[in-house]
Amino acid sequence: MRQAIPASRATAHAVPKAISDRTICGLFMAPALAILILMVAYPFISLLYYSTLNFSILNPAKGSEFIGLENYTRLLSRESVWERFVFTGQFVLATVVVQFCVGVAVAYAFQRNFRGRDLLFTIAMLPMMLCPIVVGFLWRYMFNSEWGVVNYLVTLLGFVKIDWLGVPGNALWAVVIADAWMWTPFVILLATAAFRGIPTDINEAAEIDGASPFFRFTRVTLPMSMPILLIAFLLRLIDAFKQSDLFFAMTGGGPGSDTETVAFRLGKIAFSHFYTGQASAFAVIMLVIIIGLSLIFVRLLTQQGRQD
Amino acid sequence: MSLHRQPILIPAIVIGIYMIYACGPLLWLVLSSLKDRQELFSWPPSLFFTPDLSGYRMVFGIGEAAETATALGLTDALINSVVISVSGTVLAVAFGTLAGYACSRFAFPGRDDFMFFALSTRMIPPVAVLVFYHVMFSRLGLSDTRTGLILVVTFINLGLATWIMKGFFDGVPEEIENIALVNGYTRLYAFWNLVLPMVRGGIAATAGFCFIFAWNEFAFSTILATTQAKTLPVKISSATGATGIEWAQICAAGVVLVIPVAIFFWLIRKYLLMGMTFGVLGRSRT
Repeated sequence: MRQAIPASRATAHAVPKAISDRTICGLFMAPALAILILMVAYPFISLLYYSTLNFSILNPAKGSEFIGLENYTRLLSRESVWERFVFTGQFVLATVVVQFCVGVAVAYAFQRNFRGRDLLFTIAMLPMMLCPIVVGFLWRYMFNSEWGVVNYLVTLLGFVKIDWLGVPGNALWAVVIADAWMWTPFVILLATAAFRGIPTDINEAAEIDGASPFFRFTRVTLPMSMPILLIAFLLRLIDAFKQSDLFFAMTGGGPGSDTETVAFRLGKIAFSHFYTGQASAFAVIMLVIIIGLSLIFVRLLTQQGRQD
Repeated sequence: MSLHRQPILIPAIVIGIYMIYACGPLLWLVLSSLKDRQELFSWPPSLFFTPDLSGYRMVFGIGEAAETATALGLTDALINSVVISVSGTVLAVAFGTLAGYACSRFAFPGRDDFMFFALSTRMIPPVAVLVFYHVMFSRLGLSDTRTGLILVVTFINLGLATWIMKGFFDGVPEEIENIALVNGYTRLYAFWNLVLPMVRGGIAATAGFCFIFAWNEFAFSTILATTQAKTLPVKISSATGATGIEWAQICAAGVVLVIPVAIFFWLIRKYLLMGMTFGVLGRSRT
């Protein structure tokens, strides 16, 4: 670990009078590093190792057999696995786009000062503070096709009751509505912070120059808050990709296994079938995708920083 | 501000529509928590009814409702949840603050790698590593213990805490420590007595976020805490017993669970908005 170097070298440089910056740096980094190594590095190496084995945690006595990349090839040659990736991709795209359009618009509207804004803002944050499992059950209750309140509103509008959670296409949107409900507040919070960070004189200067509100939003506000919006986007993207709690509570992956996300399927392989080796390979594939996406964003972010 | 003369109409409409979307389900959560079995399944769904507290009674295990097989009787789980999420939040904020300061002030080799590594705590899907945590915990004697879950909860928040705190430290001019050092104070003194008080708001905002994720953590706890260390969210999910889902109890539990978080958020609301810039805006402006 390259990061650990300052800690070990620092002791040699310690000045008796005051603790050197190097020691402080090492001491300050030590607890975080220790936890990260224990909780990330160790399982990650284990993942890589177990992903090459034919092994089940339920049956450790049977031992493990080295099978190379067979877990990977077996997974990737299965059409049902690809279907899960496509489904997850659809879900991630839909929910993140909805959260961002709504979140940025609402955050921009909240830039205005009006009485009771703080209270409204805090109420708007509430969905994010609820327990995900409760959110899942709440929406399942509301989306019930026979006595759910959503279908009541649907019939009020003159339509027939919709089977929200029993049809895969509908269920996808039902979970998107629930997920966006829960996490749009997060986007609002970060976007608001970003907008407030923009010096007011820039906007005022643009206004004096006769820039329209739309022009100011697209040419001043958005570009200047882009770094934070990118971070918010990345965090939401990762979380949406990992989402399984809501599906667990709302659809249980059904009908059949049509609404299982990648994370949900991984959970099934690992804790219902107990194919530990195959689950490890699956997890590695997921992590490669997430880390790859994150790297792209971090790259974008540093490029943005340089432009400024 | 005097320059802003566009009509308030459009923002008002946007906020209005959003508040309906945000508050509707919240209202339904509270209403459903107060409904009895008949009201829960009535058609059309009722807005006005005689409130029934049995959902809450089941949650707290009061009276005859506590005798029901699926009643939560939250007392043990409540203690577990408070102990685990408070300790986990304190540790994550403390470690995140230290690491955030180091990353903000010292250009040590591998700093950017570390920041990315720290973010990976949010990237890892819990199910991907749970098997290994399970194995590791049973070797360390941490299975189904509060200590084990405190470790997990600290870990899931550490990356976010480090990132947010680094952002706050980036906003504090380095001259502050430099002047203190020139005047013969140590860096530790400057850190503790000068810089830390300046980022109080940041610490509050970070704690707020960490507490939400700690308090609501489900994916890890449901596998790692099987009996002794069960937390509230794990208990709630088990309320889907043989007699069907106890909707009123789940909703009541949701209301009870969100109250401490909401109060905390209200108290720190001023700092939340200041803080969530991760330092990326501060850097471009200075």
